[in-house]
Amino acid sequence: MANRRANFCGSDDHRIHRRGFLGAAAVAGAFAANMGVLNVLRHPTLAAELKRQQKHVILLWLAGGPSQLETWDPKPGHDNGGPFRAIETNVPGVHISELLPKMAQRMHTTCLIRSLNTRIADHGGGAALMERGRRDEPTVQYPDLGAIIARELGRADSQVPDYVSMYTSTEGRRKGTSGFLGARYAPMFLDKELMPSNIRRLEQISDLDHQQRGELRQVLGERFARGRGSNSVDSHNGAYKRVRGLMASDKLFDVSLEPQKYRDAYGPTQFGEQVLVARRLIEAGVPFVKVARAWWDSHGQNFETHLELVTELDHVMSTLLDDLQARGLLEHTLVITLGEFGRTPRINPSLGRDHFASAWSASLTGCGIQGGAVWGKTSPDGVSVADGEVGAGELFATIFQALGIDHKKDYYLGSRPIPLTNPGTEPIRDVLA
Amino acid sequence: MTADPNKLTKKLEANVPGILFCLDKRDDATVIHCGSSDAKVYTFDLADEKPTGKPMEGHSSYVTGVALAGKHLVSGCYDCSLIWWDLETGKPTRTIADAHARWIRGVAASPDGSFVASVADDMVCRLWDAESGKMMRALQGHELQTPHHYPSMLYACAISSDGKLVATADRVGHIVVWEADSGRSLATLEAPVMYTWDPTQRRHSIGGIRSVAFSRDNKLVAVGGIGKIGNIDHLGGPSRVEVFDWQAGEQTHEFSNDKLKGLVETLAFGPDDAWLVAGGGDHSGFIQVFDLKEKKPLKEEKAPMHVHDMVLSADGTSLCTVGHGRIVTWELK
Amino acid sequence: MLRAFRGLLLCAAACGMLGLAATASAEELLPADRPIPAAVDHYIDALLTERGVKPADQASDSTVIRRITLDLAGRIPTAAEAKAYVESSDPNKRVQLVDRLLGLPEFALHQRNEMDQFLAGSDRMDAAWRDYLLAACQENRPWDVMFREMMLSEETKDSPGALGYLRSRAKDADRLTGDTSAIFFGVDITCAKCHDHPLVPDWLQDHYFGFQSFFSRTHLTKANFVAESDEGEVKFKTTSGETKSAQLMFLTGTVVSEPEPPKRSDEEKKKLKEELAKLDEQKLPHPAPEYSRRAALVELALQPGERDFFARAAVNRVWHRLFGWGLVNPIDQMHSGNPPTHPELLDWLARDFIEHGYDLKRLIRGLALSQAYSRSSLWLDGERPNQDLFAVANVKPLTPRQLGVSLELASRNQSVMPVAGDEKWQSFISGRESRAGRFTNWVEAPTNDFQVSVTEALYFSNNAEIVNEFLSSSNERLLSQLINTENREAALQTAAWNVLSRPLDQEELDLFQGYMAKREDRLPDAWQQVLWALVTSPEFRFNH
Repeated sequence: MANRRANFCGSDDHRIHRRGFLGAAAVAGAFAANMGVLNVLRHPTLAAELKRQQKHVILLWLAGGPSQLETWDPKPGHDNGGPFRAIETNVPGVHISELLPKMAQRMHTTCLIRSLNTRIADHGGGAALMERGRRDEPTVQYPDLGAIIARELGRADSQVPDYVSMYTSTEGRRKGTSGFLGARYAPMFLDKELMPSNIRRLEQISDLDHQQRGELRQVLGERFARGRGSNSVDSHNGAYKRVRGLMASDKLFDVSLEPQKYRDAYGPTQFGEQVLVARRLIEAGVPFVKVARAWWDSHGQNFETHLELVTELDHVMSTLLDDLQARGLLEHTLVITLGEFGRTPRINPSLGRDHFASAWSASLTGCGIQGGAVWGKTSPDGVSVADGEVGAGELFATIFQALGIDHKKDYYLGSRPIPLTNPGTEPIRDVLA
Repeated sequence: MTADPNKLTKKLEANVPGILFCLDKRDDATVIHCGSSDAKVYTFDLADEKPTGKPMEGHSSYVTGVALAGKHLVSGCYDCSLIWWDLETGKPTRTIADAHARWIRGVAASPDGSFVASVADDMVCRLWDAESGKMMRALQGHELQTPHHYPSMLYACAISSDGKLVATADRVGHIVVWEADSGRSLATLEAPVMYTWDPTQRRHSIGGIRSVAFSRDNKLVAVGGIGKIGNIDHLGGPSRVEVFDWQAGEQTHEFSNDKLKGLVETLAFGPDDAWLVAGGGDHSGFIQVFDLKEKKPLKEEKAPMHVHDMVLSADGTSLCTVGHGRIVTWELK
Repeated sequence: MLRAFRGLLLCAAACGMLGLAATASAEELLPADRPIPAAVDHYIDALLTERGVKPADQASDSTVIRRITLDLAGRIPTAAEAKAYVESSDPNKRVQLVDRLLGLPEFALHQRNEMDQFLAGSDRMDAAWRDYLLAACQENRPWDVMFREMMLSEETKDSPGALGYLRSRAKDADRLTGDTSAIFFGVDITCAKCHDHPLVPDWLQDHYFGFQSFFSRTHLTKANFVAESDEGEVKFKTTSGETKSAQLMFLTGTVVSEPEPPKRSDEEKKKLKEELAKLDEQKLPHPAPEYSRRAALVELALQPGERDFFARAAVNRVWHRLFGWGLVNPIDQMHSGNPPTHPELLDWLARDFIEHGYDLKRLIRGLALSQAYSRSSLWLDGERPNQDLFAVANVKPLTPRQLGVSLELASRNQSVMPVAGDEKWQSFISGRESRAGRFTNWVEAPTNDFQVSVTEALYFSNNAEIVNEFLSSSNERLLSQLINTENREAALQTAAWNVLSRPLDQEELDLFQGYMAKREDRLPDAWQQVLWALVTSPEFRFNH
């Protein structure tokens, strides 16, 4: 990261005071709370208040490239369609793959975008594009969706992480990046276990000492920071201030605290468990959780692989939506299914499908979405977009608008204004509520 | 005319649109019936200069099994239905729409044509009276879910030459030998190597037993699939066959070919059970013949396509194979 | 003919646009024989006076020695070094300090690390590269010589380390072009790839592709050697859709004329291909071309009239490293739309740099001896002045390696540690510097607008590695020294000198005494916690 040249022209007309960039949010800060106070899940009034105000995102990242033909845009009756049929959903006129029978009953909360043409069909490039909504430039490293949402929807004094990312398989594993937004918005990244690293106090120090040691450090830190005029120093103090709160959020990652009936409902798979953790996190106020389900790259045996993975997705996603609905959270939560691209309509001799970025699908559910809406059409053979072509930018603009974030809003990189989506990008209004 | 597998050579090759998943033919005939990815059942006469398929419509998805039972042709499909066909008119005479709750993977007929067996991902093997279409037995001996909590598949079934036994084989390598009359499970066998579960890199599975066959003397059961795979995005594992003395419950033969990678989709025992033919493939295809006495591979040929199904003549001198985009016949003499 | 004429036109136009005409003529600059610190302070103070801004006081002695030791030697001073400096009344102690540090082995280690960071960054380089850099830093090899070595070293079977720069970029023409123009010439022209720069008239597509042309024949062979062919052109599409062939054009607009590439028949081409393939099989490098475009770049870039880019970029980069803010910011945007804050100073330093053989050590020494450099970073009186004025020092985050070495030294019982500069010191400090590489896993390298992530804070708060290694009570560690010191105040001051390079004031003493007093039943733990608070405080984490 250090090697990236992250600034732009810097000419006189664009000179803006640097503090303006970070805004008030970075300067605010309540002092770290005691360990015991946090458990939001046990404080109904606090939880209710959060529910009322706060929006969240759960990104179900289908790593490896799921097949749109075996999920949201089936083409039965065509040679490219594969063996699985299309089924009706509870939205008249909308059909999805028979591998998603549970979601078929929940399409009234979901919208589909079937006309993505993003052109980049390699895993690295496609994932980078779909993580950030645009391609990096040599001079700019853009923040990914999680970092932006953490910045927009996170609270400065938050006792929970702003951005949690789970990617526990090893294939295609990507950490995500906060780009020019800086380390403050980097994800809390879980790649081995479901418990974040370094989140538990070492046994050799008592809780009291751990806290007071931190307070001692804080006093020293604040004394030093006065008069230094350094955002970096402030961020250092800010990071330490968040430690106790983040440590308290370790309970959120502990599924054994969840009633068995919910654990059973999400099912026995790892993906199910991780999505349950995601629900716990957003319920406690985490604005953005990404759960990666790797690895969909079915170059061989596409149908068998999708039989497994789509069945799991159908079950876990439906359980999640029902769960959010029951807790009154669905209207405040945007659930996204997305991969780095789709799969070829053409079926290869191993009965597989290969990479395909010319006509593929994503889904958006919940907050700000017009349930049941379908945007875009692909040709009958699935090979191209027939109507309503959109790219990563349009998808991101739509996501921002659904959450009440102005996609035209500017960030500043040094003195260069950088809107959340590139100029000229418009959200897909038809799928917004 | 004695069959000589050493002389395995390709005879005829015909391109067809789509993927042919299954095939049946009478022993002495040149006419074959195939199930296709385009939901149709095709009849070809291989004696024709350029064989063209006569379609029969009625299914709505991949036709994965066809079997000649007496004067009937019965097909099974991913649309969960079984269809009896009138070979003269090309029309369905009987459609059992919900023969299974999930996708039908294969159909087999008893040699006397009195009953048909079908297997599907509802993990049940059903036996049907070929004449009346009534379901006689539902054989349940395969788990609905894999040990890793994902839906399983029941890929293959076979009926013994005396019509008394049925064998079924599934995704996780579990094999059952049944008594057709009573529906009793007579033996279970395991070939777990054919199922690869990747817990670390990609977190899903691949493989499964795709073919099963009884030896002509009904003493042995052969199963085909793929060996352990490292990168489960592809069929990048050795083609694999295991043979069992099902009554003793012991494995008698094991063949693993790292040069010819892919799934063994179809098996047939040669005359006197001296050798065993396996067909299959990955992006390409193969035919392999194994010497059962010497327990060694005998002959192998690359096939021009991934082979999905085949029929070996009773005298073992001719082989008809169908698969991805092609029909190919072979001679073994 | 036409080509040369166009070249001249472009050159003239470019010179005008680049504001080089605005450069002070030699007579207007301070004389060249002035010492560097005098020139620096002259120009810095002149602007301060002009703006009516009174600069911050000079930093305290303990701040000065800490800052200089970190900047020159990549580490904090030992307690003994700091105390000696603070207590000395020698009027020349500053010069002596700088010269002493420049002579220590860790100067070259730190210099090497800084170079590695801006030349290679997060690329994975081999040991040969790092060894090359270290040798060059130990010799204080002139910067133009290093540039030549990195661009033009001859590829051999055991590839020279200097070629690491090219090797990691040879597969990506855009990256090679953009990085070289930014790193060595202080200009990032990658925007001009797709269109003429929207704001800056200096950079047209011609400049981008013209510059890229110098590298267009450079590539990596199948055996992973850097190679340059003797033919090949760069073609590009303008925004109006016209396809142009790029000329060899330097950033000043000067066009280089080159000999025609050899014309080969198909047979000859085939033969050449086979010969090269054979070399690849034998794992041998390809032969150098008769005419090298890269060599043409190096020759041109260092010529009088052209070498200002090279010199100014280097000067600005060193300035930026020591001051935490360049004379031009960002440091890779040195163009007419982004003029330096102190143009005469930049010109004077660039001239001085060129005339003294691109001597980096001399430049570093000169800057470190200026008053501007040693100002306090504290500004408590109203709004902090704009960084461009250098009225007050900038706080700079420690690099991962600086932090690693410093934490190692701070947490040691320095009474049983080799003395800085003594015979045992070299191998000791080399070992510490080498181990410090691990810190690149735990803290991020500084960037503009650097922010510390909560991952770092969690790591230092809860990870066993830090506690078990640096905060252990084994004999060679400070913690054991603290536990065994009778007088609590003395122990606290020992800790302070070790970690902060200064004594604690009364308020701080009271704070720590209060903390310890509540923990009489677990004093070793209490000491460990006090030490933890000191090493995780921003005063330690940053270079102030």
